[in-house]
Amino acid sequence: MALIELKSVTKIYPLGNQEVVAVDDFSLSIEAGEFSVFAGPSGSGKTTLLNMIGCLDQPTRGEIWLEGQEIGHADQKMLSELRLRNIGFIFQSYNLIPVLTAAENAEFTLMLQRVDKRERRERVTDLFSLLGLDGLENRKPSDLSGGQQQRVAIARAMASEPTVVLADEPTASLDSHASEELLALMQRLNQEQGATFIFSSHDPLVISHGKRVVRLHDGHLESDQ
Amino acid sequence: MLYQLALRNIWRNRRRTLLTLSAMIISSALLILALGVFSGMLRDMLATATEQYYGHLVISAKGYQDDRDMFRHFQSDESIGTVLEQEDVLGYSQRLRSFGLLSRQQNSSPAEILGILPLQEQTVTSLHESLIDGNYLTTEDPNGAVLGSGLARRLNVVPGDQLVFVTQAADGSIGNDLLLVKGIFSTGDIGHDNSLALVPLAWLQQVLVLPGQVHEIAVKIDQPFNAASLAEKYRVDLHETLEILDWGEMLPEMAEVVASYDVSRMIIVTILYIATGLGILNTFFMAVMERTRELGVLMALGMRPGQIRVMILLETTIMGSLGLVCGAVVGIALSLYMALVGVDLSGTLTPITYAGGTILPRLHAVIEPGNILIPSVCLLIVSLLAGFLPANRAAKMQPVVAIREE
Repeated sequence: MALIELKSVTKIYPLGNQEVVAVDDFSLSIEAGEFSVFAGPSGSGKTTLLNMIGCLDQPTRGEIWLEGQEIGHADQKMLSELRLRNIGFIFQSYNLIPVLTAAENAEFTLMLQRVDKRERRERVTDLFSLLGLDGLENRKPSDLSGGQQQRVAIARAMASEPTVVLADEPTASLDSHASEELLALMQRLNQEQGATFIFSSHDPLVISHGKRVVRLHDGHLESDQ
Repeated sequence: MLYQLALRNIWRNRRRTLLTLSAMIISSALLILALGVFSGMLRDMLATATEQYYGHLVISAKGYQDDRDMFRHFQSDESIGTVLEQEDVLGYSQRLRSFGLLSRQQNSSPAEILGILPLQEQTVTSLHESLIDGNYLTTEDPNGAVLGSGLARRLNVVPGDQLVFVTQAADGSIGNDLLLVKGIFSTGDIGHDNSLALVPLAWLQQVLVLPGQVHEIAVKIDQPFNAASLAEKYRVDLHETLEILDWGEMLPEMAEVVASYDVSRMIIVTILYIATGLGILNTFFMAVMERTRELGVLMALGMRPGQIRVMILLETTIMGSLGLVCGAVVGIALSLYMALVGVDLSGTLTPITYAGGTILPRLHAVIEPGNILIPSVCLLIVSLLAGFLPANRAAKMQPVVAIREE
């Protein structure tokens, strides 16, 4: 059984009096441990797909299965729970909580899951060490560089050991050096910890790191390599 | 965790938080002070009416207070003794009353003559503290008189002068005798200052030919606002020919003023807090609007809408509680100052007699639990209500839409 399965997924957004088809009759299977990239130009539907897999949005038609559970038509409470337990997000502009320190940001989902404080600290310390963030635990996001903030965001996404980590244009706000470092780190996490990563990006650097590249165009699957 | 997050969110924009807190503190502190001064004015009015003349309770023959008929007199009996020994009773004064003509040389004036026992009267009224000339009556004075300032002015008398009092006695004869002016009082209550004279009880009993008789016993109690219930309680102990009236029955206009106070208080609280509430609502809406994206991220990370709502409400509750505590402390401090020192306005204002009492030319506060509790509790309710709308908006946001917000 695939970790994620999309069956004839269509997403239509209302736009004034018109409708925009963001994803059209899209089907795909993703196995556990994959390091996949949804590639395509702006408006191709890659972020919409990522949002639907991440339980942030729901399809107009079709089904989305995550670990054997249909999530495409779950209620808000269930979606919150799925996001908390199964999904790790890495956003383009980091989106760290400004009032929390780096370590508290990384611990946030664990706090929501009511994980014991000591265990939280251990997990985050390990991740910070792995991500080269030692010594930055008590810094506020505003005191960190873009690359450091994105690493904290990775730590936050990874801390709760989710089923899948979704990264939407994760390098868009970083320079090429920082992007290279970050991608190498995520590849390492994928290899060492077996975490499943799905990216959306039109950055050739990110695409070149993908083990599987799913190309989209106007909401349709163009290629899957 | 939610509490910690809420606390940090409050302080992320210190200037705005401090401004909002200031509005809360100032509004509740000023409200506490205003209600304290309002209560002080009311207490003054009640005190001028009861502690300068009526007393809080009055025992008299049935119907006497309606027509003040000289023949409705009585002698103190056991049933009265039972009432006067109650622990709520701070003091009482036996009185005999007469209306007649006071004159000196070419000057004369109608007057109300109140026969009293000086030491007893001092336990009920504070006229002895309102002397502006001469001395108060003593037990040794056989025919002394203490006059209101307006009456003394009309008769053109000063302490040491003699007066003639003429009235009808109970036996049908003309009662008359000489009085020696001992002192002059001024209460600010024009009605009594212009017509009242205190004389020894025994002297008036002799002039009226009513030996051992009184018309009323004025009683001072511990809690004036409990007078009605105490009167009800004591009524059963009295002889059937006697009645006991509380100040509210003797001064119905004053009772109306007191009754309307609670309504006035709530109107003031409502008006002030609508304005404050809108300010708080505006602040919290702003705080939520500018955090839309962040709230979307929190939801994306798995925070439930209910937790988002609780977090925002916690922020408003913490702010409200802080405003409440600081506002109450400042309000109590200001009220204490106004209670202990006050502001004397006698240089610019004169006393105003209204509803049987006198509004004195001063700002003076009293500290009552209700005047602190009502503004405090209302501030907390207003904060919660003001937080509810933005909290609800935040909880209903779609994370995918919120994250896209710039």
